[in-house]
Amino acid sequence: MKLRILLADDHEIIRRGLCALLQKHEGWEVCGEASDGREAVEKAKQLNPDVVIVDVGMPHLNGLDTTRQLLHHDPNFKVIVLTITDSDQVIREALDAGARGFVLKSDAARDLVAAVEALQSKRMFFTPRVNDLVLAGFLEKGHVPSRNEPPSLPTLTAREREVTQLLAEGKSSKEVASLLNLSTKTVETHRSNIMRKLSLHSIRDLVVYAIKNNIIQLEMPPHIKSAGESTIA
Amino acid sequence: MTIRILLVDDHPIVRQGLRTLLEGRPGWEVVGEASDGLEALDKAASLNPDVMVLDVTMPRMNGLEACRLIRKRTPGLEILFVTQHDSPQMMREAMEAGGRGYVVKSNAARDLLAAVEAVSQHRVFTALTRNVSPVEAR
Repeated sequence: MKLRILLADDHEIIRRGLCALLQKHEGWEVCGEASDGREAVEKAKQLNPDVVIVDVGMPHLNGLDTTRQLLHHDPNFKVIVLTITDSDQVIREALDAGARGFVLKSDAARDLVAAVEALQSKRMFFTPRVNDLVLAGFLEKGHVPSRNEPPSLPTLTAREREVTQLLAEGKSSKEVASLLNLSTKTVETHRSNIMRKLSLHSIRDLVVYAIKNNIIQLEMPPHIKSAGESTIA
Repeated sequence: MTIRILLVDDHPIVRQGLRTLLEGRPGWEVVGEASDGLEALDKAASLNPDVMVLDVTMPRMNGLEACRLIRKRTPGLEILFVTQHDSPQMMREAMEAGGRGYVVKSNAARDLLAAVEAVSQHRVFTALTRNVSPVEAR
């Protein structure tokens, strides 16, 4: 029986590249594709794939919240997070969300097959940097960071995080309401709760919070990026 | 029509995606790949492609710098930028650097084939996400 993989990335060109890579592997098939996190959650529920590969920087619902929602729906989902950055914070959030694999997009051609193979064998796959971070956490604290540890940031509900992302992407409360099938009044209530919990005072503050906490990701022109650092651009 | 294409992007998975798309077109051939601007300069000289599909943000030498140099060294080679930068300012800069076309990566699956065809015939092709449809001009 074939291993069924669901791919979620907002760039079709990346999905094509990933598909080409994964389908070379005998016994694997890409059973579905999604272009944002919400679509990924819906398709995962319909298709029940063996492995879900999610990009972190997706519109509407980012890959970290997608992972949380997937595992909330079914803790048996095996999720590999694909990311352009292996910053400590993204790693911690991916681990906290329950990802079982973590692969840098820049290394996907090399690491992704190994990551899927690891999950297929009921193991986990992380980049060396993740291993270093986990080990450092173990040595410093005497234990590996746990999914049950209280987060250092004020806790937003899954719905509040979705609303935060959509507002930070520039959508109006009415547009958010339409996307989430909620009333505008409910979205306004979520928005007030978010601002209160996070002690924010404006949408500008919310956008800054969303960027700092990897809820949305920024594009940077090449002039202000250092050599060797590159987004999937 | 035969078109020889050089792919330049620092991410192998993006190059694979672009290759998959381009090689579906009969007669089009991806003659090589490069992962930064410096490698692109070398391969442009050695492989003699008709069209270079060029990323903007890359290590060692970015696509804008590479484009300026290639324009001087190999004026006949047409350059199509394929980038994540969905901004008129970046597009203007890319075209001023000598690009013949500009496509946003998120729309590459939609725009790439038409863009390569246009620039291979020395026509301008630019498309940002905010445009409803691509702009093509002679």
